Amino acid sequence: MYAYDKFDRSLVDIRVAEFRDQVERRVKGDLTEEEFRPIRLMNGLYLQLHAYMLRVAVPYGTMSGDQMRRLAHIARKYDKGYGHFTTRQNIQFNWPKLSETPDILAELADVEMHAIQTSGNCIRNVTSDQFAGATADEIADPRPYAELLRQWSSFHPEFSFLPRKFKFAITGADQDRAAVKWHDIGLIVRKNDAGEIGFEVIVGGGMGRTPVIGKTIREFLPEKDFLSYQEAILRVYNEQGRRDNKYKARIKILVEAMGAEEFARQVEVEWEKIKDSHIDVPQEEVARIQAFFQPPELANQDATSAVTSEFAKKNFIFASWLQNNTNAHKVQGYVNITISLKPHGGIPGDASAEQMDLVAALSDEYSQSEIRVSHEQNLILPHVALKDLPAIWADLDEAGLGTANVGLLTDMIVCPGLDYCALANARSIPIAQAITKRFDDMKRLQDIGPIKVKMSGCINACGHHHAGHIGILGVDRKGQEMYQLLLGGSGAEDATKAAILGPGFDEHGIVDALEKVVAVYLGVREDGEEFLSTYRRIGAQVFKEAVYDAA
Amino acid sequence: MTLLSLTGIESGPWITLLDGELPSEGDSIAVPIARLLEEGVSAFATAGALGAAVPTGTSFAELEEVVRSLTFVAIEFSAFGDGRGFSLAVRLRKDMGFKGEIRAVGPVMPDQAQFLLRSGFDSVEITDESRVGAFRVSLERFNEFYQTDYMGARSIAHARHGISQ
Ligand code: SF4
Repeated sequence: MYAYDKFDRSLVDIRVAEFRDQVERRVKGDLTEEEFRPIRLMNGLYLQLHAYMLRVAVPYGTMSGDQMRRLAHIARKYDKGYGHFTTRQNIQFNWPKLSETPDILAELADVEMHAIQTSGNCIRNVTSDQFAGATADEIADPRPYAELLRQWSSFHPEFSFLPRKFKFAITGADQDRAAVKWHDIGLIVRKNDAGEIGFEVIVGGGMGRTPVIGKTIREFLPEKDFLSYQEAILRVYNEQGRRDNKYKARIKILVEAMGAEEFARQVEVEWEKIKDSHIDVPQEEVARIQAFFQPPELANQDATSAVTSEFAKKNFIFASWLQNNTNAHKVQGYVNITISLKPHGGIPGDASAEQMDLVAALSDEYSQSEIRVSHEQNLILPHVALKDLPAIWADLDEAGLGTANVGLLTDMIVCPGLDYCALANARSIPIAQAITKRFDDMKRLQDIGPIKVKMSGCINACGHHHAGHIGILGVDRKGQEMYQLLLGGSGAEDATKAAILGPGFDEHGIVDALEKVVAVYLGVREDGEEFLSTYRRIGAQVFKEAVYDAA
Repeated sequence: MTLLSLTGIESGPWITLLDGELPSEGDSIAVPIARLLEEGVSAFATAGALGAAVPTGTSFAELEEVVRSLTFVAIEFSAFGDGRGFSLAVRLRKDMGFKGEIRAVGPVMPDQAQFLLRSGFDSVEITDESRVGAFRVSLERFNEFYQTDYMGARSIAHARHGISQ
């Protein structure tokens, strides 16, 4: 894991002092609310429906056990005892007091964390594959590059006031778990024929009211030009991105308007001007950062574990957990485990202080004190020995964290919706809870198989409904909360936009409709065919008839 | 109104020319860029020093047409969140090699002082004098930076390895 040196430390410390000063000036009236707004946003502080909300960065989703313990402490001391993990691999606290936020930031700085640029019209926290550095299907660990991006984009003098927020995602694996094609800039680590590392650069993806899948503008960007090329993209965007309408201000609109080819051409022109101007860091610095991400030394293990197999034979839930919540590790006898934050009936992505403490303790004992957050709002313990799984699962299960549903229907991405969010049209949490109640049977879930349900409480699409195999979108119809059903989206390497199936439903109707869609799938699927493949094979019509004719 | 130098170098006073107005001989004048492009630089040959008043929406290409005749540029922010102003300064310095004074005019915030300096601004026109102190504090806030600035000055990444440029 990356560790701060005196430079990193000094920057976050000064930032805390600066924010303390800004809060004081705001309280005294020296700063107007209008001026304070971008300042607090750049420190992750939102004004929500009921209170302030503080969003803390978990850079590229990697943190230590100590950091998790600090988050638990903050949840206890400054909040109501819980936190909410988001699709940006961040954590949000929903109830901090404005006057206490500088103290919270100081507590975070103490464990090398911050809330810098987790909001505002600037370059946001870079997201990545939650299994980075630990997965079997990886070309290279993308996190050193994510860290380079983090440093380059922090307090960038030219790009701190962009037309709109700007999100990077990077992956080093063939299987895209970071939804890179849905980001302002998506990066995929590639190797060329000479075995050198470089990046495929994808721009102009995004959700929101105008969903767009990003376009590749460069197949292979050499590692040494990594940052200068990003800067060239930002140059074009900062000059020409629209500032007259916030719904048209994201880079996706510019790329669509210009055409990806013309956009790429302009980027190349800018890049020629700046590529040799020391934007990229010296090679020594890349090596220094990479050294923090060396794979851990793991003791030799057998490829199988008798303890684990035996336990799985006796316990169906554990067997499901083993199947759904683990992912192949680079090293034989090890796995990465995903801790589901989607207990049936719970609030997706929420974790209590006690649960955070437990995960921290488990990480110390079993996963090299490493924890990850996924954009699907779950927690990961990487590098876990297969033989330790029964013990870990037992501890998790006792704390309400043993749900075996990762990748299954109830492992939904769900935005906070009208229960918290000032922009929401409809509640999303109660719908998610109703769905988990309807699909509470593990055998049934297992039979339905891998399926991604994603739900947003309004058109801003924080719940990624456009990328859901099944998407649910909350809308306001004459003061009534209604829900639209979308099918066929994907956030993976085969990214597609989900399409609206037909008229919306009320809060009960949407759950019925979802169930009908699943029933159609179960009826027509071929052997081993997953939901998305079936949908792609047979199209929307059959689903439409089933959902609307019976209604 | 107070003029604050960001670089420590004394900045020159100048008059911003209003529409239709003609400069008195020898005056230092800032001419709105649209007028400069329309009437041509030669129309202002009698000025002591010629500058341009450049709204943030000005394209870099337009600025490039006249930059060689200018001794200073006033970049006019429409709002503090209009980040194009920073890019204009960077382009002037880095791409066009502009050496004259660049001044920020309009509603910039004290908290942006270091961004302004590091993008290439020399001075800022502060309308609310009670904020001069806050500008000064903000200007001293950070002493090391992750990025090289517009001049390619040493970044933290270089400092870590004892590399200077
Ligand atoms: S999708 Fe809408 S309701 Fe949900 S968090 Fe985003 S803005 Fe709020």
